Amino acid sequence: MKQNNMLAMILAGGRGSRLHDLTNKVAKPAVSYGGKYRIIDFPLSNCANSGIDVVGVLTQYESVLLNSYVAAGRRWGLDAKDSGVFVLPPREKADANLNVYRGTADAISQNIDFVDSYAPEHVLILSGDHIYKMNYAKMLAEHRANNADATIAVIEVPMKEASRFGIMNTDKETGRIVEFEEKPEHPKSNLASMGIYIFNWKLLRKMLVADMKNAESNHDFGKDIIPTLLNDGKNLFAYKFKGYWKDVGTIDSLWEANMDLLDANNELDLNDSTWKIYTEDVTTLPQYVGADADIKRSFITQGCLINGEVKNSVLFTGAQIGAGARIIDSVLMPDVVVEEGALVQRALVADGIRIGKNAIVGEADSEHIELIAKRVKGEE
Amino acid sequence: MYNAFGIINPSNRHSWVEGLETYRPSGAFSFMGRYRVIDFPISNMSNSGIDRIQVYINRKPLSLTDHLGSGRHYNINSKRGRLQVLFSENTAEHDIYNTDISAYMENIECIQRMHHPYVVIAPSYMVYTQDYSELIASHVNSGADITLLYHSVDNAKDHYLSCNVLDLNRQKGVLAIEQNHGTAKSRNIFMDTYIMKTSLFIELIHKAKKMSSMYTLTDIINYECSELDIRGMAHRGFFASITDFQSYYDSNISLIDFKTATELFHEGWPIYTKTNDSCPTQYFDTANVTSSVVSNGCLIEGTIENSVIGRGCVVKKGSVVKNSIILAGAVIGENVHVENQVVDKRAQLIRVKEIVSNPSKPGYIKREDVL
Repeated sequence: MKQNNMLAMILAGGRGSRLHDLTNKVAKPAVSYGGKYRIIDFPLSNCANSGIDVVGVLTQYESVLLNSYVAAGRRWGLDAKDSGVFVLPPREKADANLNVYRGTADAISQNIDFVDSYAPEHVLILSGDHIYKMNYAKMLAEHRANNADATIAVIEVPMKEASRFGIMNTDKETGRIVEFEEKPEHPKSNLASMGIYIFNWKLLRKMLVADMKNAESNHDFGKDIIPTLLNDGKNLFAYKFKGYWKDVGTIDSLWEANMDLLDANNELDLNDSTWKIYTEDVTTLPQYVGADADIKRSFITQGCLINGEVKNSVLFTGAQIGAGARIIDSVLMPDVVVEEGALVQRALVADGIRIGKNAIVGEADSEHIELIAKRVKGEE
Repeated sequence: MYNAFGIINPSNRHSWVEGLETYRPSGAFSFMGRYRVIDFPISNMSNSGIDRIQVYINRKPLSLTDHLGSGRHYNINSKRGRLQVLFSENTAEHDIYNTDISAYMENIECIQRMHHPYVVIAPSYMVYTQDYSELIASHVNSGADITLLYHSVDNAKDHYLSCNVLDLNRQKGVLAIEQNHGTAKSRNIFMDTYIMKTSLFIELIHKAKKMSSMYTLTDIINYECSELDIRGMAHRGFFASITDFQSYYDSNISLIDFKTATELFHEGWPIYTKTNDSCPTQYFDTANVTSSVVSNGCLIEGTIENSVIGRGCVVKKGSVVKNSIILAGAVIGENVHVENQVVDKRAQLIRVKEIVSNPSKPGYIKREDVL
């Protein structure tokens, strides 16, 4: 808090049910991505790199793994004296019953006491399930320069896709938001809300207290808080973000986000040493490549053991590829074992799954990516 | 379980790894890409339940202290345990007074303050895995005063020439510790690893100091062979002594074979190291990598064969890296052919296209050098 007097709250309670079996036992922010990361490493690393010291993580759905994962704040360097990552699942309070978080705004409302204990000038609200690199300090600087009540990060999306997003209509000159439309049928602009907000805490606090008492409210930032602020004539500004940003809602889009890493000079650039993404430090062997291995256009991390062919694929920590096995256009999550002679094509294989000898998984020209979440038996 | 503290020693003046050692002590040498040599003795101690560890440094402390940090990554309890770095200051390089005993004397108060009844002393320049808690238990059961760890080899004529050998009787009693003069093939190479009572250790330090300013711990123990019950205990599994350039090169290359690696890395016996937060390695369309060990953060467009690649290396199109050890951050430029080399950190092999040495005498490229 010494640096910019802004506290971050990461919303990480969602299941992400369109990720099917991948989120049976873990919440979406804990899903693996990019060979060695979990999705929530991105907002957490962004906070650390932006000089934010205190981060609250609001968890709800299947939170055991996520809670213990984010609680180790030192992974992201968030463990200095005035720093920390605080896990905030719903809790029982003296003056209220134990309530689940009823919406994104309610999750913050139920933790007003936590935010108050740091008395920040600004609060940054983030999603725990987006993949991007962003300097929140720059956004705060713009928020201050605009003398804004709230600033919302937006990204330009193709006009024909704009109706899938929450769209901000702005004054072209000042960037001031004049209208917010949730998934408009006929969008007037292509500036999509990224679900990243900076609020002046005093104002937001007032709004949240009122929102809690409103029986009509969905207790949601997009549906309730932002429209109310606009109706009240408050100063809301859009902060234009340029760069890689992905909300991976489905198996196809999670696969795609992994495939994006295979391009030379890809936009996310995980190799940038000035903006590293930090994650769990796993103790494994280095990556072993065997005498008959054939690896082309792939992203492979430590602890992998490769004796077969790997093309156009992303291999996560501890993946093992047997002799003569072929991995093509696929994503193999941590500790996947592909036995000798097996063929995996256009598939996303979940953590720890074993694919047996000579088994065939996925199809080269399938419309969708096949999710493999159960053991595939091979020849005995 | 017996209560012991650990000491990790720097290499002695007989040992020198040409090139690499100019920049850092042997414990800080990069090993298998992602490790440093000292990760092995510290992980062995940590896994054996030893969480008070003294690391002695007698020269060029920067890269080693950088790597060790608070010692947290070695899974040592941050309150009860401690990784302590001790410098011996008044010793010049290659100085004949530069002995382990003089380093212990300088820090004798730190040793006397340890309340642990036993001490395990291990070198920072040898690579092996060993459960010290088993070793201490055997030592105590045997009733010996000192237990020395050794590894039996059958190539001592032209290897391990900077090492000592144990002369053992049939009951594994140590008759003498002497230098390996390369006169016999089969030898028991002393692994510079000792187990004894802390009180005896302190006694020996003082005695050695009194007898000769040049005496090492090995010298005084050799002198005591007839008086004390000193026994050898055999080590099994992978063993490398990194005491000259060839042994550094050979040990790295031999571990490229995964079967050999399984003799060093065991399930349930993690080797810890400091994370660098590098992203995974990216292979491009033109990559052609076989029989190699690759670290994270590399960009690979070229051909790599039978080599160890450190963190964050760039291997460009048309280049060939063969039988080489490439340290972190090195760049192999387009169409450059590198064979039988050790390429030190951040070196850039760009302009000269043929950098090939004789397989029997691998070459060395200096740190941050541009070729």
